[in-house]
Amino acid sequence: MAVKCQRRLLLPSCSRMTEKKTNMASINSVEWRSICDKFTNAQRLAETESRNDPENDPFRSKYKARELLREVYCSLKSFEAGDGEEDAGGENCEQRPPDQPVDGQTEDAFSQGFSGDSPAGMRAAKLGAVEYYLGVNHVDTEELSAGQEHLMNCMKMLEKCRASSENVSLFIHVRNQLGILWAGRDETETAQGFLESAESIYQRYMKEDGRPPTDMTEYFTTEENLLTHQERTKRFELAYTHTMYYLAQVYKNLGENERAATYCHSTLQRQLQLNQFSPMEWSLNAATLSQYYITKGRYMEGRHCLAAATVISGLAGEVPSEAAAQESETESERREQLQQKRAEIARCWIKYCLNLLQDAKKLLEDNIGELDTDRQDELKRARRQEEEEEEKGRKSALLFGSEDTFDSIASVEEKVMCLFPLDFTEARTVFLVGQNYVTQAKEYFQMDGYVTDHIEILQDHSSLFRALAFFEEDLERRCKMHKRRVDMLEPICNDLNSRYYLLIRRQLMFELAETYNEMMDLKLTLANRQADNHSLDGHTIKKFNHLCSASAKYFQMFLDSLCSPEGKPPEHLEEEVLRPALVARFRVARLHSKLISSSPPVQLENLNRALENYKYVVQYCEAHPEAPAAVETELELSTEMVGLLPLKINRLKSRMAANN
Amino acid sequence: EEEKIRVFCRIRPVNRSEATQGGSVVVAKLDDYSVTVETQRGPREFQFDKVFSTEASQELMQSVIDGYNVCIFAYGQTGSGKTFTMVGDKDQKNPGIMPRSFNGIFDIMRENGSKFDFKVSAYMLELYNDRLQDLFVSQAGEAHAQTQPHGPTRRVEIKRNRKGVVFAQGAETKEASSAQELYALFQQACANRHISATMNVESSRSHLIVGIMVESRNLTIGSVNTGKLSLVDLAGSERAAKTGAKDHQLKEANSINKSLSALGDVISALSAELPHVPYRNSKLYATRVKAITNNAQRNVDSKEIAQLKEVIMKLKSGQAVEEVDV
Repeated sequence: MAVKCQRRLLLPSCSRMTEKKTNMASINSVEWRSICDKFTNAQRLAETESRNDPENDPFRSKYKARELLREVYCSLKSFEAGDGEEDAGGENCEQRPPDQPVDGQTEDAFSQGFSGDSPAGMRAAKLGAVEYYLGVNHVDTEELSAGQEHLMNCMKMLEKCRASSENVSLFIHVRNQLGILWAGRDETETAQGFLESAESIYQRYMKEDGRPPTDMTEYFTTEENLLTHQERTKRFELAYTHTMYYLAQVYKNLGENERAATYCHSTLQRQLQLNQFSPMEWSLNAATLSQYYITKGRYMEGRHCLAAATVISGLAGEVPSEAAAQESETESERREQLQQKRAEIARCWIKYCLNLLQDAKKLLEDNIGELDTDRQDELKRARRQEEEEEEKGRKSALLFGSEDTFDSIASVEEKVMCLFPLDFTEARTVFLVGQNYVTQAKEYFQMDGYVTDHIEILQDHSSLFRALAFFEEDLERRCKMHKRRVDMLEPICNDLNSRYYLLIRRQLMFELAETYNEMMDLKLTLANRQADNHSLDGHTIKKFNHLCSASAKYFQMFLDSLCSPEGKPPEHLEEEVLRPALVARFRVARLHSKLISSSPPVQLENLNRALENYKYVVQYCEAHPEAPAAVETELELSTEMVGLLPLKINRLKSRMAANN
Repeated sequence: EEEKIRVFCRIRPVNRSEATQGGSVVVAKLDDYSVTVETQRGPREFQFDKVFSTEASQELMQSVIDGYNVCIFAYGQTGSGKTFTMVGDKDQKNPGIMPRSFNGIFDIMRENGSKFDFKVSAYMLELYNDRLQDLFVSQAGEAHAQTQPHGPTRRVEIKRNRKGVVFAQGAETKEASSAQELYALFQQACANRHISATMNVESSRSHLIVGIMVESRNLTIGSVNTGKLSLVDLAGSERAAKTGAKDHQLKEANSINKSLSALGDVISALSAELPHVPYRNSKLYATRVKAITNNAQRNVDSKEIAQLKEVIMKLKSGQAVEEVDV
């Protein structure tokens, strides 16, 4: 009988062997044993001994393995399946030109071809498996073209069979490999085709059958060495995890980020279920994924990722004590690694709490940034329904964990909400969780050694206060929260070296300026509420002016930081500083006109400073066409003030002259 | 004599679409060895072993066939004029390096016909998807051959012979007795490049390799020399330029330590605005750009702006405004 396909790979000696043709319907046990031994040796060479190959002959063991595999192939080929069976399946083997990437043919896999457990089916699977290993072997030795051929031959062998528990493992493995191969050639869509095909074959198999499938290595083992069901499942599931993992990468390369995120999530999930993970690597990945969910406003998923990250990072073990760290370098490094990574996870939690508060604020605020009580009521009503949805959502397939960890993860989740906080009580709970993580993170990221990180954490802490202040109804307490922010950031801002930390100082200056501004407004509102007729006492005025000047001072400091060492203001403002600089000018102007003084000369001075700064905004925008777009409203108002202030100034001057 | 790599520069002429669009030519030949390019930051000079201008016709490399191996690569982005330089235009009004070298070889042979006996042979290959294709074999014929039970193996592989010379094993070489014959072979090879239904010639990974072997026997002494001219038209280089080699290669699962190391990279690249990236080694961590003030703080502006608008209204209406009554 003529042998179809795959002729290109047979060595001449092998075709001579086919001529000889043994007429047995089955292989005798001695020959079979020899085949199995060769296969096992090939595996050992390729996987174990190859690690010891010298650098100048790095593929030595793999070449040896290759020879053995070829012998196995020839031996298998020379034994016929039962008479007539091969012909019956023959029509299914189409003569496709070897180059064409077969895309996976999922639909046919379950319906056409030999039954998986028939002799012909088993034979095809075994030959396919050898082709598979030959393919991987060639890919490993960087002979990609030959590797592809063998893998495609494997695909063709499998085409003859129906997918079943005897061969489905190979169906998945070969597609994974082809996915990797084509992705390496930048043919991402082709890679996608193979991997998606693997995915649907797996899903359909699990739905219609689901039994632990035979692993490819079992094709060439003796009865005693067959794998347990557990082990079979593990290997099969691992292959599918890799499919998910590769698809995540492929979707990322295609720019389909949402899909990529889903597959990252699935990969992480499966790693936990199969207990195939390294705890710290897994935790960091989960924590990073939570950050992605946060950008999408998906706080339930984000919280779940973070809770899992916290629990799984605990599985990495205790942090070595300081004493132990001093004794051994490995212990010292391990201590460092664990502490640092756990602190990073804490920082991800801080961002969770902060973003949740900030997003809640955006929903609740009115057009001047105050809490809109009507909206609040509306959202509270809508929420009752949402809580039920949350319960249902959680039951979905997105949960992480295994039997041991489901509960611990859930208990971490219970400590913080994932729905938007709608009043002060709720906001406070979120705030406290965030603050707790701030403390944790700061333990590792201390100022001495981690300046940038430490300050970022402080900035987050300040932002947590700011977000909480929004919910606080009592203005006095609100003011105290802002004071905490000032106390935290002011010393740092003043201590930092202005040359090395320019950007951070600018951020801090701006934040301090705005915080003082907030406090100033609050003090005024408070004072006005107490007094009946809007007149303020001397103490309040002093306090008000202090806050007002402090705000102006920090805006001015920011502006000064843009000047040359000689103090000359920049002729051109770079894009990153354009809006902040013009806004700072605008605010300095505003603050100066708010300063309270009973002395006309001082009032005049303040008004002149205000006018000067409004003028700057207008003139800069005239001279730089890209500027107006960045500060539309501020420009409009500055233009008005430039027109109106001179009148006020003149009236003041006349009054001053009249009084003299 | 030591092998030497020389780099030449040829300034291609403005093509038709560029001519219609207008624009200016920014490259100019300063002298036989230097070129000047107008950049955004002013003119920059580049040095080469030789510079050919647009006016000069395509000059040939004459330094071949004394038994040396010479290789000419055309490298550059798609559309930069590689094929024009190597092959020329369709009507051969402007023949490229390949046809000119074919002529050149036979001219030299003719001049030395009394002293030497020459034999010229060639192979022509295409490298695509890590595989070498013999262009002297038609694709239709190839597909047929594979269906035959005892067809020979057709793989072309790169081998090195005992003399250390690299050659293409399995590739057919054909002899040519004139420049025209050699060119005809070349045209046949190019035709075969397009026939294959499975190959996408638009794909930027297809390279053309032409090898011309010239064997010369000294009629007086009887010694034999073999020289080879390799002409290579490389695929468009723009893909290789993208962030180093293979950008889209998948990172495989590590069978030893269960690590799926690429997962972190994928996750951290899902969004450019991740609030926190816990990987200190990632490129993203290093290149995060932080704003001086974030957008959330625009709300404070709203309050300020609302207040100021009120003040302006009052000022305009002529009211004497004190911000705060003392």
